[in-house]
Amino acid sequence: MEIGLGHYLTVAAILFVIGVFGIFLNRKNVIIILMSVELILLAVNINLVAFSSFLGDLAGQVFALLILTVAAGEAAIGLAILVIYIRNRGTIAVEDINLMKG
Amino acid sequence: MTSSLSTDLVLILPEIILAAGAMALLVLGAFRGEGSAGLVRFGAFGLLIAVLILTACAGTGEKVLGFNDMLVVDGFGSFMKVLVLIGALVAIPMSVDFFRRAATDRFEYPVLILLATVGMMLMISANDLITLYVGLELQSLALYVLAAFLRDDVRSTEAGLKYFVLGALSSGMLLYGCSLIYGFSGTTNFTDLAAGIASLEGQGAGIGLVVGIVFLVAGLAFKVSAVPFHMWTPDVYEGSPTPVTAFFAAAPKVAAMALFLRALTVPFGEIAAQWQQIIIFVSIASMLLGAFAAIGQTNMKRLLAYSSIGHVGYALVGLAAGGEEGIRGVLVYMAIYLVMTLGTFGVLLVMRKDGKAVETIQDFAGLGRSHPWLAFVMAAFMFSLAGIPPLAGFFAKFYVFISAIEQGLYVLSVIGMLASVVSAFYYLRVVKIMYFDAPEGAPLELPFPLASRVVVGVTGFLTVLYFVVPAPLVTAAGAAAKTLLP
Amino acid sequence: MTVTALVFYLFAAITVASGFMVISARNPVHSVLFLILAFFNAAGLFLLLGAEFLAMILVIVYVGAVAVLFLFVVMMLDVNFVELRQGFLQYLPVGALIGLILLVELLLVFGSWSVLPEAGNLAAARAPDAATLSNTDALGRILYTQYLLPFQAAGAILLVAMIGAIVLTLRSRPGVKRQKISDQVTRTMETAVEVKKVQPGQGI
Repeated sequence: MEIGLGHYLTVAAILFVIGVFGIFLNRKNVIIILMSVELILLAVNINLVAFSSFLGDLAGQVFALLILTVAAGEAAIGLAILVIYIRNRGTIAVEDINLMKG
Repeated sequence: MTSSLSTDLVLILPEIILAAGAMALLVLGAFRGEGSAGLVRFGAFGLLIAVLILTACAGTGEKVLGFNDMLVVDGFGSFMKVLVLIGALVAIPMSVDFFRRAATDRFEYPVLILLATVGMMLMISANDLITLYVGLELQSLALYVLAAFLRDDVRSTEAGLKYFVLGALSSGMLLYGCSLIYGFSGTTNFTDLAAGIASLEGQGAGIGLVVGIVFLVAGLAFKVSAVPFHMWTPDVYEGSPTPVTAFFAAAPKVAAMALFLRALTVPFGEIAAQWQQIIIFVSIASMLLGAFAAIGQTNMKRLLAYSSIGHVGYALVGLAAGGEEGIRGVLVYMAIYLVMTLGTFGVLLVMRKDGKAVETIQDFAGLGRSHPWLAFVMAAFMFSLAGIPPLAGFFAKFYVFISAIEQGLYVLSVIGMLASVVSAFYYLRVVKIMYFDAPEGAPLELPFPLASRVVVGVTGFLTVLYFVVPAPLVTAAGAAAKTLLP
Repeated sequence: MTVTALVFYLFAAITVASGFMVISARNPVHSVLFLILAFFNAAGLFLLLGAEFLAMILVIVYVGAVAVLFLFVVMMLDVNFVELRQGFLQYLPVGALIGLILLVELLLVFGSWSVLPEAGNLAAARAPDAATLSNTDALGRILYTQYLLPFQAAGAILLVAMIGAIVLTLRSRPGVKRQKISDQVTRTMETAVEVKKVQPGQGI
């Protein structure tokens, strides 16, 4: 039972698909959509760290570190926009986001 | 360590000046409080002019790498940076009147524009997937906030939310692609990637690399709003405050297109056959959607959103053709597109009706009689966007299609020209409404803020009279395109 | 070796299962809690891969800051979440099918994963021997030298996030009582104290 690169990539691929799937499934709930985005970024980080470890190169870990930093900022902005949106509309349902059409 | 820190810092002097200036203005605004918007705006405007002159004059156009090859400064980058800086420069004064009337004249707006510009300049000079990502996110985060800047307006916050959700998803796809490319080649650096792929010597790239490139292209296509990743564009353009929309349509589009060109041609130029088909598909789909979906629109900002999707399709024709000619075509296209778009939004921003900003196309009715000069300039922009000679827009399309035909991409060129004919229909409809329809409701007011007047005048002049001296732009673009290719 | 494999399967299974629960839990508070669980187990995977520093950062930054921020927002916003669940099943079959196809395709790609023959020579930051230099030490040595530019740019991104969050949500509400130290200090006896002569039997 040797654990190789493929095992880690598989975990990351499953998480990535769950994240994408979650965005399409929970079209009404923006908070879950934001969490799905976090899952996608986690999948990317697992990929990068696994490659970094198996290639013996630290660049992937630096990349993952920067993604973590940026994702934290992104979550802050996303939640701020969500809060002002709810203040204005009183709902977070994306499907109700239909003032504009065409 | 091949280069010392001081030479590296000189390379990104324009970016450092902008970032440090933005922070200084932020502190100034925070301490001066509410009434400081004018002062901060003035400072930001001055900074952008200084950096524009510095970028345009500095450097010999030769390729210089810095920061351990993570950054590249070359003629191509300088050309695109000048375009981005012009877009940002115009966005600041054009916003004054609009935000004053909306009672949100806040000093953070110019600061965010400056920081977004720093991000765009980093994107343009990225020579590494990591630099690409941080530059892109610096730009995107600032833009999400700008889209939702009118925080008490339902449509503005909705635009911000939509832009954010889809933008975050596209960043995720782009990153997944980056991780696969890194896993295949063991490096994130464009120069090393090119060397590694050249070492394959035509044995065909691994499937992992191809999948990685596909995810990367998907993420980038979102940022330039090309089909099939365009769904956010009309809503975000319509909901955002109009000056912000003008900025969105101009500077970030140019920066993302520059990133698109560099990220595909520099590292993956050797295996162009693998991604050329995708670009051709994206280009055709964008041109067709831009032409057909805009026909039924009644809102001017939505119409311009579909128009911008179409224009991205035309610009991508040049990338699909590739080579020096194709890239030169894209550069000329983006320069002319920038001028036309800024001018059109300038016209939108000088008019008001019923005390509100003008939005629907019907609001333009009767403009030909009441304000003939403004109607004339608007008609010129419309004809130019449609690509009718001898206006500037015709030359933009001319150069990309010439490069495509030289590469034997006949189907692409023919579809592009047909789409261009279809799109002429809705541009001409605007002209028809302006000159032949009777105005309804309250008459148009023209507060004519000075800044927008200058923008409309200058861009109108350039659009109408470009054909007199087309050579300088084409020569500059040709020299810039040469530095991108090895 | 078997122990490592068992630990891997444990962490991997919990990560994937809690990832799935994040998107399917009925209550968003549960979703956040499952997200935290997923992060913890992903940190375990990072440890197995030898990326100790990232594992710690994942726990501190993600669990400590991001997930708690989510929790704050979920609890602060009084939203009827049951309503939001409607339509969930409507997209389930198509979504599941597309997700499955995407997953199979990705797994096929990884099944035949090949690395560029040159990859070993291209590595920009060769990892030092773990016996001589710890992971944190090695990352620290390159983060502030080789990767100075993206590190500084990440700082700018955090600044933008801070400005953005404040611009969008900070409101100065009228009528809120705040302490003004300068006003307190500048008060003198003349403005603060009033001396009144009280007549006997009349009160004030």
